[in-house]
Amino acid sequence: MEELIYKLKEEIIDVLNLEGMKPEDIDENAPLFGEGLGLDSIDALELIVLLEKNYGIKLKNANEGKEIFKSVRVMADYINEHKTK
Amino acid sequence: MEQLFDVVATCRISDKEVLVNQESILYHSRENEQDWLSTIYHHIGLQYPKFFKMDRLCKAGILGAELLLKDYTYDHETVKDDWGIILMNAASSLDNDRHYQETISEDNYYPSPAVFVYTLANIVTGEIAIRYKIGGESSFYVMPDFDEELMRELLVQAFNADPKLTHILYGWANVDQDQYDVRMFFCKRRGNIKTSINNPS
Repeated sequence: MEELIYKLKEEIIDVLNLEGMKPEDIDENAPLFGEGLGLDSIDALELIVLLEKNYGIKLKNANEGKEIFKSVRVMADYINEHKTK
Repeated sequence: MEQLFDVVATCRISDKEVLVNQESILYHSRENEQDWLSTIYHHIGLQYPKFFKMDRLCKAGILGAELLLKDYTYDHETVKDDWGIILMNAASSLDNDRHYQETISEDNYYPSPAVFVYTLANIVTGEIAIRYKIGGESSFYVMPDFDEELMRELLVQAFNADPKLTHILYGWANVDQDQYDVRMFFCKRRGNIKTSINNPS
Protein backbone atom coordinates (compact mmCIF):
# COMPACT_ATOMS: atom_id res chain seq x y z
CA MET A 1 0.00 0.00 0.00
CA GLU A 2 2.82 2.45 0.85
CA GLU A 3 4.29 1.90 -2.62
CA LEU A 4 0.94 2.70 -4.24
CA ILE A 5 0.58 5.83 -2.09
CA TYR A 6 4.00 7.07 -3.20
CA LYS A 7 3.26 6.32 -6.88
CA LEU A 8 -0.11 8.05 -6.59
CA LYS A 9 1.52 11.15 -5.13
CA GLU A 10 3.93 11.24 -8.09
CA GLU A 11 1.03 10.91 -10.53
CA ILE A 12 -0.97 13.65 -8.80
CA ILE A 13 2.00 16.04 -8.90
CA ASP A 14 2.45 15.28 -12.59
CA VAL A 15 -1.16 15.56 -13.81
CA LEU A 16 -2.01 18.56 -11.65
CA ASN A 17 1.24 20.43 -12.43
CA LEU A 18 2.06 20.97 -8.74
CA GLU A 19 5.26 22.88 -9.47
CA GLY A 20 8.10 22.43 -7.01
CA MET A 21 6.25 19.80 -4.97
CA LYS A 22 7.71 16.40 -4.13
CA PRO A 23 5.80 13.27 -2.98
CA GLU A 24 7.25 13.79 0.50
CA ASP A 25 5.52 17.19 0.66
CA ILE A 26 2.07 15.63 0.41
CA ASP A 27 0.49 14.33 3.62
CA GLU A 28 -1.41 11.22 2.52
CA ASN A 29 -3.97 11.80 5.29
CA ALA A 30 -4.62 15.48 4.56
CA PRO A 31 -7.66 16.60 2.55
CA LEU A 32 -6.87 16.99 -1.15
CA PHE A 33 -9.42 19.77 -1.57
CA GLY A 34 -9.97 22.88 0.48
CA GLU A 35 -7.26 23.31 3.05
CA GLY A 36 -4.98 20.46 1.93
CA LEU A 37 -3.46 20.92 -1.50
CA GLY A 38 -6.06 23.56 -2.33
CA LEU A 39 -7.23 21.78 -5.47
CA ASP A 40 -10.19 23.01 -7.52
CA SER A 41 -13.01 21.49 -9.59
CA ILE A 42 -10.86 21.14 -12.72
CA ASP A 43 -8.30 19.25 -10.65
CA ALA A 44 -11.10 16.91 -9.54
CA LEU A 45 -11.88 16.17 -13.18
CA GLU A 46 -8.20 15.49 -13.84
CA LEU A 47 -8.16 13.01 -10.95
CA ILE A 48 -11.20 11.25 -12.42
CA VAL A 49 -9.30 10.97 -15.72
CA LEU A 50 -6.23 9.68 -13.84
CA LEU A 51 -8.28 6.90 -12.20
CA GLU A 52 -9.59 5.76 -15.58
CA LYS A 53 -6.38 6.14 -17.55
CA ASN A 54 -3.93 4.61 -15.07
CA TYR A 55 -6.12 2.18 -13.13
CA GLY A 56 -9.08 1.41 -15.40
CA ILE A 57 -11.57 2.77 -12.87
CA LYS A 58 -14.61 4.51 -14.30
CA LEU A 59 -16.61 6.51 -11.80
CA LYS A 60 -20.35 6.20 -12.41
CA ASN A 61 -20.95 9.75 -11.33
CA ALA A 62 -18.72 12.65 -10.38
CA ASN A 63 -20.20 12.84 -6.87
CA GLU A 64 -18.39 9.60 -5.99
CA GLY A 65 -15.23 11.68 -6.18
CA LYS A 66 -16.20 13.55 -3.02
CA GLU A 67 -15.61 10.39 -0.97
CA ILE A 68 -12.75 8.94 -3.01
CA PHE A 69 -10.70 12.13 -3.13
CA LYS A 70 -10.83 12.83 0.62
CA SER A 71 -7.11 12.13 0.87
CA VAL A 72 -4.34 10.29 -0.98
CA ARG A 73 -4.70 7.35 1.41
CA VAL A 74 -8.48 7.06 0.82
CA MET A 75 -7.83 7.31 -2.90
CA ALA A 76 -5.17 4.58 -2.73
CA ASP A 77 -7.56 2.31 -0.78
CA TYR A 78 -10.21 2.79 -3.45
CA ILE A 79 -7.72 2.07 -6.24
CA ASN A 80 -6.52 -1.07 -4.48
CA GLU A 81 -10.09 -2.33 -4.29
CA HIS A 82 -11.35 -1.36 -7.73
CA LYS A 83 -8.44 -1.23 -10.16
CA THR A 84 -8.79 -3.23 -13.40
CA LYS A 85 -5.28 -2.63 -14.71
CA MET B 1 -10.86 66.12 -26.53
CA GLU B 2 -10.15 66.07 -22.81
CA GLN B 3 -7.88 63.26 -21.78
CA LEU B 4 -10.00 60.91 -19.66
CA PHE B 5 -7.23 58.75 -18.26
CA ASP B 6 -3.50 58.50 -17.63
CA VAL B 7 -1.34 55.48 -18.28
CA VAL B 8 0.38 54.71 -14.98
CA ALA B 9 2.36 51.60 -15.92
CA THR B 10 3.48 49.74 -19.03
CA CYS B 11 5.07 46.40 -19.67
CA ARG B 12 6.32 44.45 -22.62
CA ILE B 13 7.18 40.78 -22.90
CA SER B 14 8.80 39.65 -26.14
CA ASP B 15 10.70 36.48 -26.98
CA LYS B 16 13.92 38.19 -25.97
CA GLU B 17 13.24 40.68 -23.23
CA VAL B 18 10.95 41.97 -20.49
CA LEU B 19 10.47 45.71 -20.09
CA VAL B 20 8.59 47.51 -17.35
CA ASN B 21 7.90 51.19 -17.86
CA GLN B 22 10.28 50.98 -20.83
CA GLU B 23 13.16 49.75 -18.68
CA SER B 24 14.60 46.33 -19.38
CA ILE B 25 14.38 44.01 -16.38
CA LEU B 26 15.27 40.66 -17.97
CA TYR B 27 16.92 39.26 -21.11
CA HIS B 28 16.15 35.82 -22.44
CA SER B 29 19.23 33.66 -22.13
CA ARG B 30 19.10 30.51 -24.25
CA GLU B 31 21.32 28.83 -21.66
CA ASN B 32 18.43 28.81 -19.23
CA GLU B 33 16.77 25.39 -19.35
CA GLN B 34 13.46 26.64 -18.02
CA ASP B 35 10.86 27.91 -20.42
CA TRP B 36 10.80 31.67 -20.85
CA LEU B 37 7.55 32.31 -18.97
CA SER B 38 8.68 30.24 -15.97
CA THR B 39 11.98 32.13 -16.00
CA ILE B 40 10.08 35.43 -15.78
CA TYR B 41 7.83 34.01 -13.03
CA HIS B 42 10.82 33.09 -10.88
CA HIS B 43 12.74 36.26 -11.70
CA ILE B 44 9.97 38.54 -10.43
CA GLY B 45 9.30 36.35 -7.38
CA LEU B 46 5.67 35.67 -8.17
CA GLN B 47 4.06 33.22 -5.73
CA TYR B 48 1.00 31.79 -7.47
CA PRO B 49 1.00 27.98 -7.86
CA LYS B 50 -2.01 28.11 -10.18
CA PHE B 51 0.29 29.75 -12.75
CA PHE B 52 1.75 26.33 -13.58
CA LYS B 53 -1.66 24.91 -14.44
CA MET B 54 -2.35 27.61 -17.03
CA ASP B 55 -1.81 27.66 -20.77
CA ARG B 56 0.86 29.96 -22.18
CA LEU B 57 -1.56 32.77 -23.05
CA CYS B 58 -2.86 32.94 -19.47
CA LYS B 59 0.66 32.69 -18.07
CA ALA B 60 1.72 35.62 -20.26
CA GLY B 61 -1.34 37.64 -19.22
CA ILE B 62 -0.77 36.97 -15.52
CA LEU B 63 2.90 37.95 -15.84
CA GLY B 64 1.92 41.14 -17.68
CA ALA B 65 -0.61 42.05 -15.00
CA GLU B 66 1.88 41.28 -12.23
CA LEU B 67 4.54 43.47 -13.85
CA LEU B 68 2.04 46.32 -14.16
CA LEU B 69 0.71 46.09 -10.62
CA LYS B 70 3.64 44.94 -8.49
CA ASP B 71 4.67 48.47 -7.53
CA TYR B 72 1.17 49.95 -7.49
CA THR B 73 -0.55 50.53 -4.15
CA TYR B 74 -4.04 49.03 -4.15
CA ASP B 75 -6.40 46.94 -2.08
CA HIS B 76 -5.31 43.33 -2.56
CA GLU B 77 -8.07 41.83 -0.42
CA THR B 78 -11.30 43.30 -1.79
CA VAL B 79 -12.92 42.67 -5.17
CA LYS B 80 -12.54 45.89 -7.11
CA ASP B 81 -15.75 46.53 -9.06
CA ASP B 82 -14.25 49.80 -10.31
CA TRP B 83 -11.40 48.10 -12.20
CA GLY B 84 -11.82 46.68 -15.71
CA ILE B 85 -9.85 44.64 -18.24
CA ILE B 86 -9.68 45.03 -22.04
CA LEU B 87 -7.32 42.77 -23.98
CA MET B 88 -6.72 41.93 -27.64
CA ASN B 89 -4.68 39.43 -29.59
CA ALA B 90 -4.37 37.86 -33.04
CA ALA B 91 -3.79 34.18 -32.27
CA SER B 92 -6.83 33.82 -30.01
CA SER B 93 -6.31 30.55 -28.06
CA LEU B 94 -4.75 28.76 -31.04
CA ASP B 95 -1.60 27.87 -29.09
CA ASN B 96 -3.56 25.87 -26.54
CA ASP B 97 -6.13 24.65 -29.11
CA ARG B 98 -3.27 23.01 -30.99
CA HIS B 99 -1.99 21.44 -27.78
CA TYR B 100 -5.47 20.13 -26.94
CA GLN B 101 -5.84 18.69 -30.43
CA GLU B 102 -2.56 16.80 -29.97
CA THR B 103 -3.84 15.29 -26.71
CA ILE B 104 -6.97 13.93 -28.40
CA SER B 105 -5.30 12.70 -31.59
CA GLU B 106 -4.05 9.40 -30.16
CA ASP B 107 -6.10 6.22 -30.17
CA ASN B 108 -7.94 5.66 -26.89
CA TYR B 109 -7.18 9.21 -25.84
CA TYR B 110 -8.16 10.72 -22.52
CA PRO B 111 -9.13 14.37 -22.93
CA SER B 112 -7.61 16.61 -20.29
CA PRO B 113 -10.12 18.93 -18.61
CA ALA B 114 -7.23 21.13 -17.47
CA VAL B 115 -6.10 21.67 -21.07
CA PHE B 116 -9.63 21.97 -22.46
CA VAL B 117 -10.61 24.83 -20.13
CA TYR B 118 -8.05 27.09 -21.82
CA THR B 119 -9.40 26.61 -25.35
CA LEU B 120 -10.97 30.08 -25.26
CA ALA B 121 -8.94 33.27 -25.59
CA ASN B 122 -10.92 35.30 -23.07
CA ILE B 123 -10.04 32.91 -20.24
CA VAL B 124 -6.94 35.09 -19.78
CA THR B 125 -9.13 38.02 -18.68
CA GLY B 126 -10.83 35.72 -16.16
CA GLU B 127 -7.54 34.46 -14.77
CA ILE B 128 -6.30 38.05 -14.33
CA ALA B 129 -9.61 39.05 -12.73
CA ILE B 130 -9.37 36.15 -10.24
CA ARG B 131 -5.73 36.76 -9.35
CA TYR B 132 -6.06 40.52 -8.84
CA LYS B 133 -9.69 40.58 -7.64
CA ILE B 134 -10.89 42.72 -10.53
CA GLY B 135 -14.67 42.73 -10.57
CA GLY B 136 -15.55 45.29 -13.24
CA GLU B 137 -16.29 44.75 -16.93
CA SER B 138 -13.85 42.75 -19.01
CA SER B 139 -13.65 42.15 -22.74
CA PHE B 140 -11.37 40.40 -25.20
CA TYR B 141 -11.01 41.12 -28.93
CA VAL B 142 -9.36 39.02 -31.61
CA MET B 143 -7.80 41.41 -34.16
CA PRO B 144 -5.22 41.08 -36.95
CA ASP B 145 -2.90 43.58 -35.22
CA PHE B 146 -2.78 45.71 -32.10
CA ASP B 147 -5.07 48.58 -33.16
CA GLU B 148 -4.08 51.26 -30.68
CA GLU B 149 -6.65 53.74 -31.99
CA LEU B 150 -9.47 51.23 -31.52
CA MET B 151 -8.14 50.43 -28.05
CA ARG B 152 -8.17 54.12 -27.14
CA GLU B 153 -11.80 54.36 -28.32
CA LEU B 154 -12.72 51.31 -26.24
CA LEU B 155 -11.09 52.83 -23.18
CA VAL B 156 -12.94 56.12 -23.63
CA GLN B 157 -16.22 54.27 -24.15
CA ALA B 158 -15.62 52.14 -21.07
CA PHE B 159 -14.83 55.11 -18.84
CA ASN B 160 -17.80 57.07 -20.19
CA ALA B 161 -20.23 54.17 -19.91
CA ASP B 162 -19.38 53.28 -16.33
CA PRO B 163 -19.08 56.26 -13.95
CA LYS B 164 -17.60 54.14 -11.20
CA LEU B 165 -14.80 52.69 -13.33
CA THR B 166 -11.47 54.07 -12.09
CA HIS B 167 -8.79 51.76 -13.54
CA ILE B 168 -8.41 49.60 -16.63
CA LEU B 169 -5.77 47.01 -17.33
CA TYR B 170 -5.54 46.78 -21.13
CA GLY B 171 -3.40 45.87 -24.09
CA TRP B 172 -2.21 43.17 -26.43
CA ALA B 173 -1.38 39.62 -25.32
CA ASN B 174 -0.43 37.41 -28.23
CA VAL B 175 1.12 33.99 -27.74
CA ASP B 176 1.68 31.32 -30.34
CA GLN B 177 4.12 28.49 -29.68
CA ASP B 178 7.30 30.17 -28.48
CA GLN B 179 6.41 33.58 -29.91
CA TYR B 180 5.45 36.07 -27.24
CA ASP B 181 4.19 39.57 -27.88
CA VAL B 182 2.68 41.10 -24.75
CA ARG B 183 2.17 44.86 -24.60
CA MET B 184 0.07 45.64 -21.56
CA PHE B 185 -0.83 48.90 -19.87
CA PHE B 186 -2.53 50.04 -16.71
CA CYS B 187 -4.47 53.28 -16.76
CA LYS B 188 -6.30 55.35 -14.21
CA ARG B 189 -9.20 57.73 -14.74
CA ARG B 190 -7.97 61.29 -14.59
CA GLY B 191 -9.15 63.66 -11.87
CA ASN B 192 -12.50 63.65 -10.15
CA ILE B 193 -14.72 60.88 -11.49
CA LYS B 194 -17.90 62.98 -11.64
CA THR B 195 -16.08 65.83 -13.38
CA SER B 196 -14.74 63.50 -16.05
CA ILE B 197 -18.11 61.96 -16.69
CA ASN B 198 -19.98 65.27 -16.69
CA ASN B 199 -17.48 66.86 -19.05
CA PRO B 200 -16.40 64.09 -21.40
CA SER B 201 -15.01 66.42 -24.06
